Amino acid sequence: MKFLNTKQSVTFAALLVSISLFAQGTEPAAKSILERVDDNEIYKSITYDGEMTIEYQGKRFVKKFTAAGRENKDSFVEFTNSEDRGTKYLKKEGRLYVYSPDTEQVMLISGHMLKESMMGSDMSYEDTIENDKLSVRYIPVIAKSEALNGREAWVLDLSAVKKTESYPKQRLWVAKDNYDVLRNEQFALSGAKLKEYTLIRSEKIGGRSFPVETEVKDMLRKGSRTVFVMSNVVLDAPVADSVFSMRNLEK
Amino acid sequence: MNIIIQKKGGFNALLTIAWRNIWRNRRRTSLCIVAVGIAVFFIIFMQSWIEGMMIGIEDVVRTYETGDVSAVSARYEADREYYPVQFPLAEGRDAGEIIDEIEKLPGVRAALSRTTVYASLFDSTVKHAIVWGIDIEKETRLNNFNLTERSDGIIEGRYPHKDANECAIGFSMAKKAGFKVGDSIALKMVSAQFSDKYWNPVVTGIFEFDYQKYDEDSIIVPAERLQRILGLGGAAQQIVVFADDHRDAGRIRNQMAEMLGKDTVVREWSENYWVAMMRSMSGMYLIIFLVFQVVASFLIINTMLMVIHERIKEIGMMGALGMTRFEIVTVFFLEAFLLATLGAAAGAIVGAASAWAGSQFPIDMTVMTGGGMKDFPISGTLYLSFSIPLILKGFLFGVAVSALCTLVPSMKSAFIEPVEALRR
Repeated sequence: MKFLNTKQSVTFAALLVSISLFAQGTEPAAKSILERVDDNEIYKSITYDGEMTIEYQGKRFVKKFTAAGRENKDSFVEFTNSEDRGTKYLKKEGRLYVYSPDTEQVMLISGHMLKESMMGSDMSYEDTIENDKLSVRYIPVIAKSEALNGREAWVLDLSAVKKTESYPKQRLWVAKDNYDVLRNEQFALSGAKLKEYTLIRSEKIGGRSFPVETEVKDMLRKGSRTVFVMSNVVLDAPVADSVFSMRNLEK
Repeated sequence: MNIIIQKKGGFNALLTIAWRNIWRNRRRTSLCIVAVGIAVFFIIFMQSWIEGMMIGIEDVVRTYETGDVSAVSARYEADREYYPVQFPLAEGRDAGEIIDEIEKLPGVRAALSRTTVYASLFDSTVKHAIVWGIDIEKETRLNNFNLTERSDGIIEGRYPHKDANECAIGFSMAKKAGFKVGDSIALKMVSAQFSDKYWNPVVTGIFEFDYQKYDEDSIIVPAERLQRILGLGGAAQQIVVFADDHRDAGRIRNQMAEMLGKDTVVREWSENYWVAMMRSMSGMYLIIFLVFQVVASFLIINTMLMVIHERIKEIGMMGALGMTRFEIVTVFFLEAFLLATLGAAAGAIVGAASAWAGSQFPIDMTVMTGGGMKDFPISGTLYLSFSIPLILKGFLFGVAVSALCTLVPSMKSAFIEPVEALRR
């Protein structure tokens, strides 16, 4: 028995195509969502004043610093709070150097040291210097849509393209209205949750929604949290080469 | 009844009969002696081993962990496994002041400030270490860090000078990472203010403590320099106290607790987890030894049951000739007792010889366990404990348990009617 005649078949196919096109228009693909996230968060250059409030083992420590970064190549951080004044970090050509005023020496941080906590915070050195596009490093899949803190969000499951990624899996809650990453859970290959980022506040800077206040939790440190606040953020403005020099580190 | 025994030669006569009887079957007697002997040897050897281990653990705990008494803040105690430096003792009071005060207490030989902190090494082979900040001059005067040779433990170079940018490392770490005297070790620690502190001390000495945890993982540095880098100021993370007499630790602990006030945890060395655990297990060892001795005594029990069965006519004859039931039981019990005594004596002699040998020629536990002693606070070399009371205890334990076990089969002879026995 013929179910549809030719005319009906063509009409039905056209209907399917239009429904599919309509659906694509309202629900973008996971890849394009991630690209929009990158558009918000990945910069050509950045300068800002930072503040980390670390709460761990019932104590609270505040660290202040100034920072500059250029694409995913160079970054420079100088701590300004009294306990750490003069401690500087420089990422250059894929290498991370530290200058410590205690030793008055420049030391190279490499290998396992990059995964260590930075300044006792919940973030590692790797976390703080990473500025590469998620859409290049991960393959996203939309897991579901749900509301988070009153905002509608896509929940994306990310799988790393390369096996060398620090977090082989991530789960992102991306706001549907402006592509803010409302929450980011980062997992080990075993599925154990390693880190959890929660957006507290983002700001509109140069046409993009940029996260300026986040809470980070290292799940391997019981009862620990770090609130990371950026102020005086300047994006995509030229930063002098001298900022990212060894001379600046030792100065 | 006693009058009759005395008239017939008394206890000595019964003992002579029992002694002669046990040699009527030499093979069976020898087997009984060997069985009891093995049990007693095992008990003495194991007791020597356990006591040797306990002494070893107590030595390690007192030398490296607690002294005779140790004091830390309550917050530090809660997170002790992480060696936090954020919680100094007595709300950051100056360590020097506290030490002076403690050293005035009667029976205190010395008080010392110690700081321990985890460090990440820049080296890619040895990635983590424990940095131990101590008053090196005072510590080496008070302690023999090498527990086997009773020396300061330095096998190459020297210990760091006071407040110098220097360190000493364990020989296992030096071997693993290829560090030599004169090299510098780049490391990172987290300070009391939660800051990353980088340090590059020069290796001036390599030590061997024969304590795996320290030989593999520890970097010894001058206390005052470490305190400054970690932002502790004059405050102490831990104060350890050495007493003139270990037995005074309880009193000193109480006085220190009163002096340092609340939010401070003051403990004597015997409260250490490992020491308390080893001590609490002594009851269990007794049960194990008891079971072993009872099993060994089964051979005597079996022998006595067989002997009574074999000599049933003889028992009847003894009764017919006028020996009382008590005298007959005594003869059989003495036979069992003599077997137990001879066995226990043989076991005690061999056990004592082994324990003495073990106390002179130590056992290399690191080789025996394939390096698995790292988390156990004990020296890599185990000396067995040799002591006369321990040997005597083993001997008496063997005699008592075996003799008690043979009491029931010996009594069996008392219920044999002479007339019935002679008729068989």
